Amino acid sequence: MLRKLFILVFVVASATAFGQGKFISKNAYISFYSLTPLEDILGESNEAVSILNGETGEVGFQAIMTTFHFRRALMEEHFNENYMESSKYPKSKFNGKIENFNKDMLTAPVADIKITGQLTVHGVEKTITVPGTLGMQDGKLVGTSKFQVAPEDYGITIPSVVRDKIGKQMDITVKVNYLPYGK
Amino acid sequence: MKIRYILIIVLILFIIGAGVGLRMFFKPHADINRLKPDFKVEAAPLIDEFQKAEDAATAKYSEKVLEITGKLATKSQLPNGTTLLILEDEMQGISCQLDSNWVTANQAVIQSLEPGKPVTVKGVCKGYLMEIKVSPAVVVK
Repeated sequence: MLRKLFILVFVVASATAFGQGKFISKNAYISFYSLTPLEDILGESNEAVSILNGETGEVGFQAIMTTFHFRRALMEEHFNENYMESSKYPKSKFNGKIENFNKDMLTAPVADIKITGQLTVHGVEKTITVPGTLGMQDGKLVGTSKFQVAPEDYGITIPSVVRDKIGKQMDITVKVNYLPYGK
Repeated sequence: MKIRYILIIVLILFIIGAGVGLRMFFKPHADINRLKPDFKVEAAPLIDEFQKAEDAATAKYSEKVLEITGKLATKSQLPNGTTLLILEDEMQGISCQLDSNWVTANQAVIQSLEPGKPVTVKGVCKGYLMEIKVSPAVVVK
């Protein structure tokens, strides 16, 4: 009886700890930006999902490629059909870990962090280390990151006609407002 | 004389080509309000379909125009001002980002939406990521 009670208490306690330790955003912002002589190319999505494990500092992102919206319909078409091949590789993801993570980072004011993990885009997985920030801002847990990726690294071939016009590196910006994930 | 004709023809072809090119370049986004829905569905069975077989449902609905009727769970605004409606379940329901032009012209409709009440939206289905993503979308009724 005592043993059963002990197990029950243990299960409930660990379940609560598990629930409290996670943070989620279903509307994380991710953008691609490339400066070209003709015009700036900017694709933005507000529909990425991110989960941050407050116990371990592990962080995950997933985004559906077709949720990236561009100012021009043609750019969106090219992005999905020619470059990302969104019907073949519908989702991109990142799974990583915050370096030197400790729980105080979740309650302290925004500070610089470094994240290392695997970025999968266009079906190609690469290990990257990117700078970012994490901390409380206006009572919310906020995360950001800015880094560059080379489309070529992910097997994305840019036709030679426009290769010179699109920068070799694309700027990626990430902004997340996390909420405690209690379920 | 012959050269002149050739020049004129080349010039006309060039103008047509440039016109077509510019038209393609400046092609506007499809107006979701005018698109006919490919599917008319209820929210709950649609969520079921995605949760049971995500790949099959994605192949069937992705990039298609859906008219979905269901219970409004939440109405909120994203940091960039986009109005977000979630149907059925806040965590695992149907997330609809409304078209910003449509929102500007239809503030009264958005004001009148109440969580818990049924709503019908029309939008482009983007697939499943914890919830069904629909964007851009408009409110039908």
